Amino acid sequence: MQPYQEEYISNIKEIRALAGYKKAGDRSFEEYFEQVQSDWLQKGQKIRRNMDILRYELFPALDNLFEADTDSLEELSGFAACLLDGRNELDSGLFCQIHQALLSLARLMKDRNLMIQELYWLGIGRNSQYGRVTALDLIQTDQYVSKMRLCFAEAAACLKYYDEIEDTRIRGYILRSRANMALGRFKNPSERIRLIKETLQIMQDPEYQKKEPDLPWEAFILRTHQLMAASMSHSREHIMPAQDVADVMESVYIVYQKQIQEAGEKKESIPAQILFQYHAAAFYCGFDTVEGLLEKLELLMDAVDMSDYSIKSMYGVLSVPAFYSQYLSQYPELAPKREEYLNGLYRRIVDYVAACPDAAQNESMFFYLRQLIQTFIETKDGLPYGEFLERLLIRFAPDVYVHSRIVGRAAEALCRAITEAEPDFFDDIGEFRSIEDPQMKRREVSDYAMKCGMFHDVGKVNFMKLYSQTGRQWFEEEYEMAQLHTFIGGENLSSRLSTVRYAAVAYGHHCWYDGSRGYPQSFKRLECSYRQMVDVVALIDWLENVTGNGWMHTGVCKSFNEAIEEAVSQEGRRFSPLLTAWLQDEAVARQIREIFESGRREAYYQLYQKEKRDAGEAGSAGTQSVEAGM
Amino acid sequence: MEYKEKEEIREDKGYLVVEKTPGGIPRILYAGGEACAMTGLSWEELSQTDPGKVTAGLLVTPVELNGGHELWVLDSAVHRRERKARLEQMNMALEEALRAAEAASQAKSNFLSNMSHDIRTPMNAITGMTAIGLSHIDEKLRVKDCLMKIQTASTHLMSLVNDVLDMSRIDSGRMSLNEEEFSLADLVHDIAVIVRPQAGQKNQKLQIEIGDICEEELLGDPLRLRQIMVNIINNAVKYTGEGGAIRVFFGERPVEEESQAQPGQSRVWLDFVCEDNGIGMSEEFLRKIFVPFERERNTTTGKVEGTGLGMAIVKKLTERMGGRIRIESEEGKGSRFTLEIPFEAVVKEQEAGLSAGEAVLVAESDGQRAGQIVTCLKAGGLKPVHRRSGLDTVTWITEAQYEHRMPCAMLLGEELSDLPVLEVASHVRQLAGKDFPILLVSGEDWPQLEYRAVRAGINAFVPCPLFKSRLLRTLAEWTVGRQDGGSEFTDMSGDYGGFCVLLAEDNELNQEIAVELLSLTGLQVEVAGNGAEAVRIFEQSPQGHFDLIFMDIQMPVMDGYEATRRIRQMNRQDAEDICIVAMTANAFVEDIRLSREAGMNEHFSKPIDLDRLQDVLKRHLKKGAEQSQDKSRE
Repeated sequence: MQPYQEEYISNIKEIRALAGYKKAGDRSFEEYFEQVQSDWLQKGQKIRRNMDILRYELFPALDNLFEADTDSLEELSGFAACLLDGRNELDSGLFCQIHQALLSLARLMKDRNLMIQELYWLGIGRNSQYGRVTALDLIQTDQYVSKMRLCFAEAAACLKYYDEIEDTRIRGYILRSRANMALGRFKNPSERIRLIKETLQIMQDPEYQKKEPDLPWEAFILRTHQLMAASMSHSREHIMPAQDVADVMESVYIVYQKQIQEAGEKKESIPAQILFQYHAAAFYCGFDTVEGLLEKLELLMDAVDMSDYSIKSMYGVLSVPAFYSQYLSQYPELAPKREEYLNGLYRRIVDYVAACPDAAQNESMFFYLRQLIQTFIETKDGLPYGEFLERLLIRFAPDVYVHSRIVGRAAEALCRAITEAEPDFFDDIGEFRSIEDPQMKRREVSDYAMKCGMFHDVGKVNFMKLYSQTGRQWFEEEYEMAQLHTFIGGENLSSRLSTVRYAAVAYGHHCWYDGSRGYPQSFKRLECSYRQMVDVVALIDWLENVTGNGWMHTGVCKSFNEAIEEAVSQEGRRFSPLLTAWLQDEAVARQIREIFESGRREAYYQLYQKEKRDAGEAGSAGTQSVEAGM
Repeated sequence: MEYKEKEEIREDKGYLVVEKTPGGIPRILYAGGEACAMTGLSWEELSQTDPGKVTAGLLVTPVELNGGHELWVLDSAVHRRERKARLEQMNMALEEALRAAEAASQAKSNFLSNMSHDIRTPMNAITGMTAIGLSHIDEKLRVKDCLMKIQTASTHLMSLVNDVLDMSRIDSGRMSLNEEEFSLADLVHDIAVIVRPQAGQKNQKLQIEIGDICEEELLGDPLRLRQIMVNIINNAVKYTGEGGAIRVFFGERPVEEESQAQPGQSRVWLDFVCEDNGIGMSEEFLRKIFVPFERERNTTTGKVEGTGLGMAIVKKLTERMGGRIRIESEEGKGSRFTLEIPFEAVVKEQEAGLSAGEAVLVAESDGQRAGQIVTCLKAGGLKPVHRRSGLDTVTWITEAQYEHRMPCAMLLGEELSDLPVLEVASHVRQLAGKDFPILLVSGEDWPQLEYRAVRAGINAFVPCPLFKSRLLRTLAEWTVGRQDGGSEFTDMSGDYGGFCVLLAEDNELNQEIAVELLSLTGLQVEVAGNGAEAVRIFEQSPQGHFDLIFMDIQMPVMDGYEATRRIRQMNRQDAEDICIVAMTANAFVEDIRLSREAGMNEHFSKPIDLDRLQDVLKRHLKKGAEQSQDKSRE
């Protein structure tokens, strides 16, 4: 690798470490905050350096790709391989950019082998990106799945020329592409099963194997069976035809049942993932009832070692509960008698995550938790969904948490000023209209504004890598993908009773006031009774982004006064004129500015206190000094 | 108003002396003045009249006198009652006339109010399209499309007004029909343009199907025909609820009496069916549907809609054209209108074009739509290869490319079983290269799709409902002698002879490749090795010499941002107008923003993507070409 490539990779790793949540430990708040600030500054410096590396080293190299020699191309491929190796992802966006450039080169040179290779790797890169949006409906994710699948399809089409291609590696890419075409969601699950079945037939064909004995055929076949076995989860909303059931069960036997039997014979413990998949397959294929499945899952979850942070255990602690919750959502009549169990389960999970020494660095933990965010069930006496989300934000995306808190505080301040002058300003929102006491109304509105700020960006949890761990500014495609955080946030909040009132703000806070631009386009401001609060959070969020950390993603950076000036200039178009008028009130603008300036410190102080409280050490000396400083 | 007795009739009685002779006619011998008044006759008249006749209607009490004489006492009270009854009868008739006059006046008011609704429909299209056109005033093609739609709606509006004014002419049979050549494809397209937005507003599924069409060029009155069909479809839209379904079918079959036709002439029945699942009609209404001003209450809106003239006009016009109309309807279930009208076909010479036997790849999952495309292609002598899924399409085309058996084009339909069509188009464009024609065959509104479709690599658009002639003509434009002109919708060609671009690029190999690619399109290319050189070359060039600048960002001496800023600051008109395209591998959101802030119009990522290059040229140079043509016309 070139030195700049090594430096970029090293920077990315450091940025990741710097972005994670740091425990205060025994330090005073001042010491703790000093480190937070230092990390933040270092992260900024590393991002700037990475941008320079890309601008002055990598991109000129891509510019001159047509004259690059073989060594340089290999180095470039090697560099890309470090950014994403199929399991660990450092920078899948840049990985795709590099392979897209190499694919263009291959097409221009009409080099079939290089084309197959690049299509395969580009497909892998796209798959990694698609993983971020799996929680969304097919219609929103279709373009990402399609881009990935088309790459694999083109590479797989070269199977016809298997005999002409002499390179073992390229033959491997073709076969793996053939199997990978089945990755991601399908409109029709039977289509997926058919595709995998054909792939299995090809891979099990002795003719193919004989021609290329060096390929790891067993591993290829097992992975393809794994894909087939996973097809059952894609068939949740469909009744599987008998032939599909038979095909899936065949793979389930090979992937799971065989392992279970072998482990039993050797008296070894069976990993939770295998047991779960096996039980679930039996249920989907009609061999078990949902009650039977839930009981088996409860036994499975209860048996997991809660002090083990290996991937195998983590699956049992986090992922199985996510599926368990999902089944209960699908069969809500079974939920009431399991409420107590659920409450205990979620408490255990929260404790498990909190006790993990470096949770923010743990990709698997985050992946499994993300599943749980989608399927979490609220109960009367259990952990509220909002609190669960807040804990995850703190742990995995502290900068998003800090930003949300600042937005909440500033929104609260603005709303207080507005309701002092105009108590009925937010009366479009039914729950405020009915409050007659103006003081109580002000209090309620302020409290609501704070919570809206706190929850407006919860959808970013799905894009944690983009928001917290990207070591450079975004590419256009990433910017488009990041926009989906409004959909995910809106959907997650609206599907839980305790958070439904914040959903509109999460959904609509990036839409323009006049509806002419912004996203998502499906948000209709005038049809939304929460629109006044959506406007407030939209304005404050934009101000905080352009004056705070936003530059790290988009490169836009403004001073507070510039931001205010621009917001006012956009009144009636991007922002509500009723609100920008308040920005011209010196006292209000000053207050917002102060909150922006002190918000970071205050947010970390809250975290610090929380940690101390959790550890039973609340009320340290640092508390007073911080309060005095605010 | 009421008639009243002007003078009181006196209670007096009248007297007649009547002589009766056996076997003879009675004769009045004497009549008093009252009797004369009561009968309305003079004594002289009475003396010569049969007393039985003149007293009919009066109460007569005969008193026998001697000598065969009788005294008839005439009672005037009965006469008065009868007069009163007559008056009452007259008053009733007057009241009825008044009611009729009021009803006529109300009908006139309703008619005017309903007319305003029917006028508003095309007016909405005109104002809407005008607004869209104004907001895209710099996009010639977009404006052209809007103007064409405005033209369609205006013509319809005009015909509507004319028809109302001409209603009396239609009734009196003085109306004449035009006889001109018209294209059925154009007619169907015009109808779709008019009715789709209205159905869209009610989220109705409007399906326009084409059956067997043996003759596309017909002889008749297209304006009246369109009026008939639009009227029927509009009715379906009006009387079908939100989310309802309307199916419109066009087909043809030969007229049986072919022996009567002249040699070289042929006549066809044009079949038109419009069926909906709307509110339907009662049997009672169905009986009077063709009576002018009769309208059915629309239960979906609770209103009576329309002018009430539509169906009357439809029937009269259909009959004038020698056709027939049939309506089947059931309340609550929907209606079905069936028209059959005979037309003379215009036989035209076969257009030259496609080579028989050439393969065309058809990618469409809907069997019916794919079937139509395949039928049209086969009729054109081509060899269609049909694929239902995106994956199969990409697999087939990859193999075709390696085996040097590429089809002459790909026709992408509206839907694929697995992937979005535009994603597949985009991938095939990269895979098959810039010269491979990809046509989109779709019933969707092209201006809505155009931006995304062109970016995905679609060359041309063929609207649905699909007509063989239109499909084959567009296909021929893209596969045979392409420089002759593009599709009427996308109007894209790859020949840019006469245009000059400035390429600012420091890397020699990149320069060479870019010059090679740009020259292939006929462009004249001048090269600058850095930003400062680009500024100097532009400064020294005559006004309007360059049509486009491709500007690398990272260059020695002066970078692309600075060079752009300097060019934009020059005091000459073309410095302000010229399109500058950033050509760089820097693909960050910030880079795109910076290049725009520096004054560049577009951002183009490297390594050079041939399709995007072609896309940029198409958009900027065609626009320029049209402007220069406009200038020359001025």
